[in-house]
Amino acid sequence: MKRILKRSRKDRGIPLLVSIIIVFGMLCVIVFSVAGKISAEMSASAIQNLSESLNLIQCTIEAILKNEADFQKLIAQRVAAADNPIEYICVYERNETMVKLSLILEGEEEGVSNDGSKFTEEDLDFSAGGKIDDLPVSKSYVNYMGAWAYTVKCPVIKDGEEIGTLYIEYVYDSLDKSLPNGFYNNKAMLYIMDAQSERLVLKPKGMGERSAGHLNLEDFYHANDIQDRELRGKVDKCLKKGDNILFYHDIRGKQSLNYMWSVNGGTIYLIGYVPVEAIQQEGRTVNQNIFIVVSVMLTAFFLCCLIYYFNQRQQNRIRKEREAEREQHNKQLAEALQAAQLASNSKTMFLSNMSHDIRTPMNAVLGFTALLNMEAENPVKVREYTKKIMASGQHLLSLINDVLDVSKIESGKVVLNFEKFTLNDLVSSIDAIIRPMADGRKQKFHLEVTGIKHEYLLGDETRINQILINLLSNAVKYTQEGGNIWFRIIGLKQRSSQFEHIRIEVEDDGYGMTAEYLETIFDAFTRAENSTTNKVQGTGLGMAITKNIVELMGGTIDVDSEVDKGSIFKVELELRIPEEQADGQFWQENGISRILVVDSEQEECENIRALMEESGVLVDTVSQLEDALNILKENEEESYHLVLVEWQVQGAGMVSVVKKIREFIADVAPVLFLMPYDAEGVETVLEIENTQVLSKPFFVAALKEKILEMQGETREETVPEEEECSSLEGLHFLAAEDNEINAEILSEILEMEGASCEVAENGKLALERFKHAAQGEFDAILMDVQMPVMNGYDATRAIRALERSDAAKIPIIAMTANAFAEDEKDALDAGMDVHMAKPIDVELLKKIINKYVQGKE
Amino acid sequence: MRKRNIVRRLMAASLATIMALSLSACGTGDQNDEIIIKEDKEEKTVNLFSPMEKTDSDAENIARNAFDETVTIAEEKLGVNVAYRTYTAEDYQDKTYDDVTLDRARNDMDDIYMLNPDIIQKLGEEGLLLDLSDLACVKNLREVVKTANTVDGKLVAIPQEVVAYGLFINKDMFDKYHLELPNTPEEFLECCRAFKENGIETPVGANRWWLETFVFAQAYADMYNGGDTEAEIAKLNSGESKYSDYMRPGFEFLQELIDKGYVDAKKAYVSEAIEGEGDDFLAQKTPIVMAYWGAANTETAYGKTDFNLQVIGFPSSHGQMPVVTITGFGIGTRAEHLQDAKETLDVVLSDEALQIYTETNKVISPSKNIEVECIPALKPLNDRIEENVYVLASNAGMKLEQWGNTCLVVRELLNGATVEECMAELDRLQEETLDK
Repeated sequence: MKRILKRSRKDRGIPLLVSIIIVFGMLCVIVFSVAGKISAEMSASAIQNLSESLNLIQCTIEAILKNEADFQKLIAQRVAAADNPIEYICVYERNETMVKLSLILEGEEEGVSNDGSKFTEEDLDFSAGGKIDDLPVSKSYVNYMGAWAYTVKCPVIKDGEEIGTLYIEYVYDSLDKSLPNGFYNNKAMLYIMDAQSERLVLKPKGMGERSAGHLNLEDFYHANDIQDRELRGKVDKCLKKGDNILFYHDIRGKQSLNYMWSVNGGTIYLIGYVPVEAIQQEGRTVNQNIFIVVSVMLTAFFLCCLIYYFNQRQQNRIRKEREAEREQHNKQLAEALQAAQLASNSKTMFLSNMSHDIRTPMNAVLGFTALLNMEAENPVKVREYTKKIMASGQHLLSLINDVLDVSKIESGKVVLNFEKFTLNDLVSSIDAIIRPMADGRKQKFHLEVTGIKHEYLLGDETRINQILINLLSNAVKYTQEGGNIWFRIIGLKQRSSQFEHIRIEVEDDGYGMTAEYLETIFDAFTRAENSTTNKVQGTGLGMAITKNIVELMGGTIDVDSEVDKGSIFKVELELRIPEEQADGQFWQENGISRILVVDSEQEECENIRALMEESGVLVDTVSQLEDALNILKENEEESYHLVLVEWQVQGAGMVSVVKKIREFIADVAPVLFLMPYDAEGVETVLEIENTQVLSKPFFVAALKEKILEMQGETREETVPEEEECSSLEGLHFLAAEDNEINAEILSEILEMEGASCEVAENGKLALERFKHAAQGEFDAILMDVQMPVMNGYDATRAIRALERSDAAKIPIIAMTANAFAEDEKDALDAGMDVHMAKPIDVELLKKIINKYVQGKE
Repeated sequence: MRKRNIVRRLMAASLATIMALSLSACGTGDQNDEIIIKEDKEEKTVNLFSPMEKTDSDAENIARNAFDETVTIAEEKLGVNVAYRTYTAEDYQDKTYDDVTLDRARNDMDDIYMLNPDIIQKLGEEGLLLDLSDLACVKNLREVVKTANTVDGKLVAIPQEVVAYGLFINKDMFDKYHLELPNTPEEFLECCRAFKENGIETPVGANRWWLETFVFAQAYADMYNGGDTEAEIAKLNSGESKYSDYMRPGFEFLQELIDKGYVDAKKAYVSEAIEGEGDDFLAQKTPIVMAYWGAANTETAYGKTDFNLQVIGFPSSHGQMPVVTITGFGIGTRAEHLQDAKETLDVVLSDEALQIYTETNKVISPSKNIEVECIPALKPLNDRIEENVYVLASNAGMKLEQWGNTCLVVRELLNGATVEECMAELDRLQEETLDK
């Protein structure tokens, strides 16, 4: 369709262009023909003009000649009338025009001139027969003044009889004064030529030019390169006939109009030329103006076209942009619709799953409660049922926690809590949780830590824990019994010295996932298979939560999987390294400056070196036990303060190994075996003095703890103390709780622990009760948050504000279903001592109470 | 964005052009009045008589004549219009330029005349030329100029160049026949003989004007170079010594050239300067001609030869001898525009104008303040002049006019007169002059 449109546009464009060209062509033709016509007309008019100018000069000269002739006739009459004609002649003084007067009396050969000299006709040539008003005129000659002159003779008639001839000499110079000072803006050349001698006898002022030739006609031809015989023949013919002639000929590269203009019947000629450009100046000016007008019109037209074109282009562009925008918009709308439908479907599916998942444990709770009711007398059954009820409750709780987590993340309410933690603790806790799960499914759990340079890091340990447990528990869940789970923490190359760049890999050789499922694995409300048809249970929110947390931490998560081959999840995180990392002091205090590591795996040795780098302790590594013994022997005097032996290199048995080592080191120097969690033979090691077991993977923190432990400063002693304090015997609490059931459960639990509690139904009542209670009547206040009349926060603030000595001291423990970090913060801000999330965990409650109530005492 | 800016600029420029064109097309000038009055400008005019026409100052592609340029300076400075009046003889039967000059000057036809040496002397003696001593430019003039053009104590003409005549030699031809450049008349004859023997029909190209230069070189070589010039001239002016005595060797020398066929007398008698002998010289048929300094610089003369051109002095007892004539511009005593003519001439002969003239034509300046390097061909001649070795072919201090009269007598020799007849004519002329 588009193509057709384009073609039709092109089809429209070509005829338009052709018609524009035709119109312009016609316009050009018209303009040129008009210009040509104007030129021709102007040229004709210029020739006419030139002819008129020449005519004018011709008439002027002829008038002068006529006057001269008339005047000469008059003088002839006076001479005739004079008594003594000769005397009359001699009296005459020359003037500018008539420079010589002579008279030859009839019948004489010789006459006399006005200057008294003798005069004959010998030097004068009247042969050409030229006449001025019937008086014969001579051929031109250079006279006694050095000027070009001619003589006119006139008979002197007295009483009808010719008594002599009057000769008067005229100079051409006298004509000059009557002629114009140049014409055609001084561009025209003009000479006056005597036709008989063909000499140029006068160049009127302003009309000559060096190169024009100023001698004679031949010189004129020569100087102006008029060599065409035919042309010259024609010109000569005209000259002989006394005709006027105009002809075009180039004079020094310029087209010129040459003229030979007859004066006085051809005795005198005006010869010269005018450049055509000078003649056609007006025509050219008109043409120039036409050209300017046409140019302006054309330019204006082209400008209009240009403006139109750009306007069209702009409009097209805007239209296209709008179309693109609309298309984009439609696309976005379609996508949004699809997403909405997908989300709606997912949520429907989720609700359906939830309905099933929540109903299942709820069914178990209610069912077992009914059974419990019936079998209340049978303690074995009761225990069994309560255990199952408990398990179902726990499952229900985890479901609810996940749902809440997702909604929190989705609404952007998650706040990361950055604190210093050690990888050692992280790995230990994960191991403690996952290993039993894996063991339960007879799976092998492999734990590897490599390339880590800093084990103390800053981060939200809880959330990292959450990520790892999510991934690992999934791995356990989706791997068949007897499979393998790999958990790796790999230190990558640091991008910044302030951040440890780590990659966490969780790999399994379990069921794997299909490519389609991989695409949506991180979306909320999806599960590998519909939970209603699958044995594996969960909310389907775990991966979404995991991804969101990873991204919140600025990390990335990737997954590769193949059905029936297994999956691998890779999480990359950059965790800040806390500033006070190095702890050389610990090692100095404990007198440890040299450590020998015996490990057959080179990589492990490098790990240990890297982790110990900042401690300032010298770490030597060997791969063989023999080598270790050799080194120990060599350095007997400066013996090692600690020997770390990878348990698999021991070969001969741990006891003998320790004995061999002890030969070279001090008895008090610790010998530690690096063993996996599940290694056997730990007991044998522990029996040997100053010998202990360090769980793999190696962490400095773990090593330090172990050293402290071996030096007798272990926390073992505190454990029984905790156990001692775990009783709530004899304590009396004030509980603010609006929910009767919860209040009852609380009362019952406390009662079971030997404590008592008084319940107030809201914050106000609790406040009132405390206000009126005796000093020390309550050991602590257990405060719900969401209550009618007055909430827990207000009540706490009011209690703390009371003017009682114990108002500020009495421990207030928040016991609330508001379980988020923000809630905890709010509670602490309101003045409560500690926050405890519902449902009530008896052990935790006891711990907290011990800490805050009995600890104080 | 950038493209759009360019388009905008183009549009703006086009609009501006249209506006400008429209405005220029609509402009009508100031001719709105119905009555147009054209004032006739009074123009100061000075008439100059010279052999050449004026160059049209508006004409394109014409290298302006150096003299015209100096005239233009005067016209611009003084606001005068210098009108040229010219005459050129059609052939030898015509009146010569000099004849016409004499006639015109005697009849007060013009204001300024361009004069040849003989005419300077004639008109000077007739008292028809104004004393130019009070012109500002006179103080710059070389002594030789003043000497040559002073008549009865009046400086009557001042030239734009000092004209030095020399022998124009085809050096290639001399080299071809292994000939040295001649210093003395004998050496010159020997060279001619050698050329003649080698088939060069006429070794010396001549015209009816300039053969006299040989005579002057031999006649006055001693007088102007080491002799007591003033005393000798005084004797000539008093009639105590005869011009014919001075000139006889030169005439005899010419006679020998004619007799031996080294000069074609008949051809020379009717030949105009350069026109007659120039073609053969340029065609390398003639190895020697005589001409004035400027001919070596002028393309229409000998400015562009296909051979190695050398310009040397004429043979004399003092070696190669340049012959110097002084032409000049004179003003008629009864000139119509006397004051304007004087002012014009003062500008045309000022150092400023002469500098342009000398540089353009590469000639010897009459001003002692101006010197221009000459072309290599002229170097031998220039070297001699620089050494102050030269003879004057015109000297207004001598009562018998030299340049014109000698020329006429030489023409007689060409026309078949004997040396004795020529000497007698010279004596007659001397007597005639002294009788005046």
